[in-house]
This record gives sequence, structure tokens and C-alpha cells, in this order.
Amino acid sequence: MLGREPAPRRALTLRGRAGVADRLGDPGLRLLTWLASGASMVLIALLVYKVFDQAGESISHFGLGFVTANVWNPVTRRFGAGSFIYGTAVSSLIALLIAGPMAIAIALFLTELAPLRVRRPVATLVELLAAIPSVVLGLWGIIVMAPFLNNTLEPALRSLLGWMPLFAGSASPFGLLPAILILTIMTVPIVAAVTREVFQTVPTELKESALALGSTRWEMVRMVILPYAKSGIVGASILGLGRALGEAIAVTQVIGDETGIHASLFAPADTLASRVASTYQGATSTLEISSLAYLSAILLVFALIANAIARLIVRRSTLRMRAAGPRPGLAVTVAEAQA
Amino acid sequence: MIKNKTAALAGCAALALGLAACGSSNSSSPSTGSVDTLVGAGSTLVAPLVSEWQPEYDKKTKVAVTYGAIGSGGGIAQITARTVDFGASDAPLSEDQFKEAKGVVQIPWALAATVVAYHLEGAPNQLKLTGPVLVEIYKGKITTWNAPQIAALNPGVTLPATKITPIHRSDGSGDTFAFTNYLSHISPEWSSQIGHATEVTFPVGIGAKGNSGVGGAISSTNGAIGYIAIAYVLENKFDYALIKNAAGNYPVPGIPSISAAAKTLTSVPANNEVSIVDPPASAPQAYPISTFTYALVPEKAPKASTLKPFLKWAITEGQTFGPKLDFAPLPEQVVKADEATIEKIGS
Amino acid sequence: MSTAGAAPPPPGAHPLLAGSPGLRRRKLVNRTMESTATLAALIAVAVLAIVIASVLIKGVSAINLDFFIKSPAPFGQSGGGIANSIVGTALLVAMASVLAVPVGILVGIHTSEFARPSVASSIRFALDILNGVPTIVTGIFVFGLLVVGHVQSGYAGAFALAIIMLPIVARSAHEVLSLVPSSLREASLALGVRRWRTVLTIVVPTAASGLVTGALLAVARVAGETAPLLFTSSIASNLVSTNPSQAFASIPVSIFTLSEEASPAAHAQAWAAALLLIFLVVLLNVLARSVFGRSQARIGRTR
Repeated sequence: MLGREPAPRRALTLRGRAGVADRLGDPGLRLLTWLASGASMVLIALLVYKVFDQAGESISHFGLGFVTANVWNPVTRRFGAGSFIYGTAVSSLIALLIAGPMAIAIALFLTELAPLRVRRPVATLVELLAAIPSVVLGLWGIIVMAPFLNNTLEPALRSLLGWMPLFAGSASPFGLLPAILILTIMTVPIVAAVTREVFQTVPTELKESALALGSTRWEMVRMVILPYAKSGIVGASILGLGRALGEAIAVTQVIGDETGIHASLFAPADTLASRVASTYQGATSTLEISSLAYLSAILLVFALIANAIARLIVRRSTLRMRAAGPRPGLAVTVAEAQA
Repeated sequence: MIKNKTAALAGCAALALGLAACGSSNSSSPSTGSVDTLVGAGSTLVAPLVSEWQPEYDKKTKVAVTYGAIGSGGGIAQITARTVDFGASDAPLSEDQFKEAKGVVQIPWALAATVVAYHLEGAPNQLKLTGPVLVEIYKGKITTWNAPQIAALNPGVTLPATKITPIHRSDGSGDTFAFTNYLSHISPEWSSQIGHATEVTFPVGIGAKGNSGVGGAISSTNGAIGYIAIAYVLENKFDYALIKNAAGNYPVPGIPSISAAAKTLTSVPANNEVSIVDPPASAPQAYPISTFTYALVPEKAPKASTLKPFLKWAITEGQTFGPKLDFAPLPEQVVKADEATIEKIGS
Repeated sequence: MSTAGAAPPPPGAHPLLAGSPGLRRRKLVNRTMESTATLAALIAVAVLAIVIASVLIKGVSAINLDFFIKSPAPFGQSGGGIANSIVGTALLVAMASVLAVPVGILVGIHTSEFARPSVASSIRFALDILNGVPTIVTGIFVFGLLVVGHVQSGYAGAFALAIIMLPIVARSAHEVLSLVPSSLREASLALGVRRWRTVLTIVVPTAASGLVTGALLAVARVAGETAPLLFTSSIASNLVSTNPSQAFASIPVSIFTLSEEASPAAHAQAWAAALLLIFLVVLLNVLARSVFGRSQARIGRTR
């Protein structure tokens, strides 16, 4: 990065004349750090390889049809990812649908609306929400939320919106709906944190000129901030989506562990991560273990694609932000957002 | 100041590492000062009994037994992968599982039952049910508690119109095996459509992890019904159903009815698979969903010298801790077959 | 800036100028949107408050001295605590840190000091990939690598946690090291100090607070992880154990197991353990933030 070291043979170091340690130090440190990076790359490659390797038996047995087959029957030894991909997709996407607008609203609140004194505490509280371990949310989901859904919320939704197949089934304490709610709670802080950072890079001149021309605050947001931050918002949302896709623990605690695709959100279901978490240790045959590894491989692919897309988008926004000046805060924020 | 912080962090890490190193320098470490350890995993049905055994056996022999109640499916899978010293399963190994396990023997070491528990506000304990009714409930054909089939079995009881939520196990479970085995005996349709195993695809209902999970789901959902090991029903004081047996009686699940079912065992086959679900009418007071539970041990166990005494103790002295958890004592012929199998374990 | 898609304004009345006929409607829309945004923030805070309040109220009743120093009671008996899980989590996290923090910092040094920009960005992209791996998949990987054929162990659990920590530490190390002003490096090199000495004695100490922050954030993240430990360190003794060649109990896995039980006593212990875990995680986050704040000031002073 800074080019070659200065030339003098017997360099006058701050500690006197150059010794063996000094001469070996440079290549030594380079090697050490290079080894560390190399080891990390090997680790990543090894991880992806091992997961696909474990899935090998199932891949050769079922082929690509596994991905759409809606079955998981250890007795007949037929397995398929269909219902779990459905569960993962529906739960994560609906969670994002709810969390996205909420997170944008929170970010707007924190950057534009809130009085300065309120911003720090509320921002800290929202970040605290991100720090709650998923198993604690799952515990809360089982003991507090599930009975509430079963006895109050789901019957209410059914009487109000029961004409929609989504809300048509009978109430159940565990199912897609509690999983969606928990995933929403987990996704909101991540998307809000990154969106807030992105909003803070919108040049004040643009905002001020809109306001100076007489637009209301909302119009300024709509015409200046949102278009400017569009890609950042998308990136933040996909980041949140990636997180929701991979969540195993809290989901498995409240989703009811059922194979099958049902229209109703109340019905028990399962996701890729949750099925692996609940069944991997007790699989009945090597074919089932391999099929669970196949599920993990599919999940890995989804999560990596989401993550890669999000990072590319966020990085593009980051480069624009870097041009606006150093913002070390983003490092911390995005680091946490990688929950 | 910053140097102090990083130094402090490094110090903590070093301390922890030192602690860990100290721990591993004597090869077994739990703070009771035990000499050796055995790690086992599997059945949640037998877990209460094992948790009684752990402190007693440690006191007696200074061997610390660690047990993970991850379900019978887990017991089979972990011993197959040899990640534990012994597995525990209420379900006997199938042909394929024996093959995949490559040299594992099963040793029935406790005897208990799978009970059908329910949570129904406004209804009394000990409702009567039959196998065919259970089949219909678990297939989703009977959906409310006041269905005529249930009402017919319980004359004089006003059943509320609550929805039935059938709970099943989401993990590989010996209780699932016993329950579906029973349903398969009762209903050829169930046998062909769903079958019996540690893990089946239930058409309806909610899945819960472990006997504890089923218990949790039952206690928090009005109208829930689930199959659960007898010790958990006792501990949580759940309402439980009386199931009609082949003789037409409704025995209360407990040691007498479990022992009655075990008495119908004529002989112990070579692979020690002993099944006593749906005993014949010749045992009038037998509980229909009684089940043995097995220890799974490699034939060439590396820890044979520690395992064998433990297993021997479990099937003899260990049985004395069973009755208070509603485990019935092992029948003589089973104990004899076990002892013969245990002898053959060697490293 | 044009209002794209709006109808052409009536003559002499630009929509953006005060006094136009649509002003009341626009102000109403504005007020509505502002309220919505405020409401969203309030809902988020409310949900947090509900969850934290549940944990506090239900957990506090089970917190007593026994909770911290006793191990779980046998089946059916009440009392006992989670001493084995507390020690287990401490050891797992410590071991994972010993593995992940030095390696992560070294990777950060590599990407910010030594590597060519193209190589550095490939490494960072790869680390981003690692960071996006769902933790359950990490658990399966380590299970296949270290547990199959052996037993579950503290080593395996710590390794799984270290894999999760690594990208976090490495990325924050890179960011923080990049922030050290190049004037410092150049001055040191101009004085004839070798590159490696410059890095180790000038650059790294300047960034030290940020490095600690990254480490603390990574620790806060893995202290609450359950999925990677499910298959690597879950079948653990009920007694306090410091032997890493056997599995360690851990607070998140204990919460997971207790959460699915039926007895109120088990639930109470689960809440108490959750309270402890949240407290730990919050403490670590606060520490990280305060350390970072101080490092910001320091970097500011060195400019």
C-alpha cells in the first residue's frame, strides 16, 4: 500500500542498529498475515465443500427433483425440500414486507423527525433489539406470544380477514404466523441500522434546497432522500432477508415442525434451517442425514446469494459515502448488522 | 490506558485457557473428582431414570455418566456415528439401521409406557379412548372433542366443543415408534399409509421436540392431545386417556398394567428386540402401549471395561429407582438375555 | 427538482410555493407520514420493552444464589441452577476468542497493510461470504469435521463459534486499521523504522481500541448463539466441567432445552438464564461502544 521501505542498508531505527529480527520481521509478518488470510479462505472453501459433500448421497439419489418435491417421509425414505423452501420463502419474505417499511420509517424518525435529545436513546434501543439472542426471542415466542396468537390474535384475524386463504385455517399456537412475527422482530433493527446510515449520507444541500423551495418534510423525503438512498435501502433489506433466511433456532421453537404446504398462515410449517436444527441429530438413516445436508446446501446457496447481492449494493453506496468523507460509524453498524 | 485494556483482555483469555488446560490435564474432570466418564445420548423416555442413576452410580463407582436426552432417533444416529459411548432408544433398530451401525447390540434396560395425555378444560381426567379413535384423531378426521365417537366411549361426560390439536414428536422418537406401532397394529390403513418408525409424516398436528416439548405444547394449548412417556405425565400431572386394550378393558397406565403387558412376552429373540404393544386379550389388564427401552452399545466398545459394569448395574440395582417414575421392573427372561449380551461386549 | 408525474400546476400557483390551494392537503399528508414514522419507532421500542419486560419480570423470580452456583437438579426435582452452563459459556467464548481474535486481526492487518487492493477485496468478499453462512450450517460443518468419529467437545463448540467470530473481527480490524492516518505510517517509515515494526508498534496500537471493539462485538454476537453448539457441544454433563475434550453446557443451549419443557419451574429457569444472557450481551455491546468512542477521540487527536 505504501510502496517499498526506505533504502538505507543499515537503517537507523528508533531502537538503534538493524538486527536479525529487524530483517526477518518484514517477511515474517507478511507471511504470518498471509497465512491467516489463506487459512480463512481455505476454511470457507472447506465449509462449502463439506456441506455439499455430506449432501452427496442425497443429491445422487434424488437429483434436482429434491428441490421441488413436497415430501419428507423417513418411513418410505422419500425426502424433498419443497415444503421447506416454501416455508422459508414465505416466512422471510412476509417478514421483510412488514419489517422493511417499518425499518425505513424508524430510520426516517431517527434522522429527520426526532428531536436531537431523543435520537441517541431510541437508536440505542433499536440496536438493543438486534442484540437479543434468537433463543431468547424464541423463548418469549413460545411462552408469551404463542398463547396470545392461539387465543386472541388468530381468531380475531380469522373473523376479520378469514375470506383470504391466508387467514382461513384454524388457530394454532405454532405455525407460520408466529415465525413471521419473530423474524420481523429480528429483521427490523438490521434494516433500520443500515438504512439510517445510508440516510445520513444524503447531502444536506439537496435536502435543504427542497425545503427551501417550500416542500413539506414528507415531500422532501419522498423526492430527495428516498430516491437517493434507494439502492442502500434495497441493500439493507436484502441483508435483513439473508439474516431471516438462515434463522434456525427461534423459528424452530415456534413454527410447529410440520411438512406440507398449506395456504393458511396459521398452519404449522417448517423452514430449511428449522428442519435441519430439529432433525439432524436424530435422523433415522444416512439417507435422511444426507438429505438434511442437502437442505443445508440449498439454504447456504440462498443465504450466500442474498448476502452477496446485498453487500455489492451496500458497497456501492459505501463508496459513494466514502467520497463524502470518512464515516467510521458504518463499520461498527454494518458489523453489527451482519448478525 | 488502552494498553491496560488489551492486557486485561489478554489476561482473561489466558486465564480461561489456563483453566481449560488444567481441566484437561486430568483426563476426566467433572468437579466431583470422578475417575472416568461415559457419554450417552438418546431416548427422552428413559432420561428421568438415567438422571436418577447418574448421581447414584457416580457415588458408588466414581464413574460420571453424561446423558443427552435428544430423542431415540438421536440415540441411534449418534451411536452409529460413534460420537457417544452408548445410545438409548425405545425403538429397536431396524435391519437397515443395524447394517448402518456396523456392530451395535441393543440391550433392553428399562420398561415403561407411552401414555396419551391431553389438556381439555371442562373435562375430567381418564377419558376413555380406543385405538381406532386415536387413528381418526391423528389423521385429522375427528376434529373436536365432542365428536360422537368420543362421546360414545364416555357416556355421562359432557365434552366441550373444543378443537382437538394432535401433538406429535418432531424429533426422532421412540415414543413415536411405540405409538405408531400400536396404531399400525390397530389399523391396517395407518400401517400402509403412514407406517411406524421413530419419525413419520403425520398428516395433521403440531410437532414438538422431546417428551418435554410435547408436554409443553400440551400444557399450553387447550384441546391438545399427545403421546408422551409416562414419567412426564406423572411429573406434570397431566390428564391422560384410558385406552381400550384387546380384552376390552381400560387399564390405568402404571406398573401393574405395564408388567401385565410384559408378561405376554414369550421369548427374547437373538437380537433382543422385544415388542409388547397391543398385547393379546389373554392379558386382560395389560396396558396397550407399553414399551421396552434399549441401551445401544458397540460390540467392540473401546470403553467396554467401564460400560459393562454400568449396564449390569442398570439392569439390576438400577431398576430399584424405576418404580417411583412408573418404570416397571424388567422381566426375568429379559434380564437373563441382557446379561448374556453384555458378556459378549468386548474391546 | 420536479414533481414527476404530478398534474401541471394551475397558472400562477406552483405546488411548492406557500399559499397554493393544495397546501392544506400537503400538510395533512406530511403530518400523517410523520406520525406514521414516529409510530413505527414507538412500536419498535414497545416490542423491545415487552420482550425485555417479560424476561425481567419472569426471570427475576428465579434468580437466586443457587441459580449461579448450583447445577441442574435431577428430573422432577426443583431447585438447582445453571452453574454448568455459565462456566461452559465462559470457557467456550474464551476459547473461541483465543482462536478467532488473533487470526482475525492478522487478516485485518493483511488486507489493510500488505495485500494488493485486488487481493484485499477478494479476501474481504470471501469473509463476507463466511459471515453470511447461516450458523446452523456452520454447526453442521464443524460436526462433520470434528465430531463424527469422536465425541462432542468444547473444542468443537469453540471452533464453531470462532468461525462465526472471524469475519466480524477481521472486517472491523480492517476498517479500523484503514482509519489510522497514513501520516503516522509515513513518518515512521521516514525515520527508518522497518515496515513490520511500524505496523506492530505504531499502527496497531493506534487502532487498538477499535480492535478491542471488534473483538467485543464478536464476543457479544457468539455468546448468544445456539445453533452452532447444537451438534458440537450439547450433550454435556450436568456438573460443572472445565474439560474441553468433553462437551460444555452453555447458556443458550440450556435456554433452548428449558424453553420446550412443560414445568413452570423449568420456564422460570429459562427466563432467568435469558435475563443473564441479555445482560451479558448488552454489557458487552456497551463496553464495545464506549471503547470505540474513546478510540474515535484518540484518532481525532492524532490528526
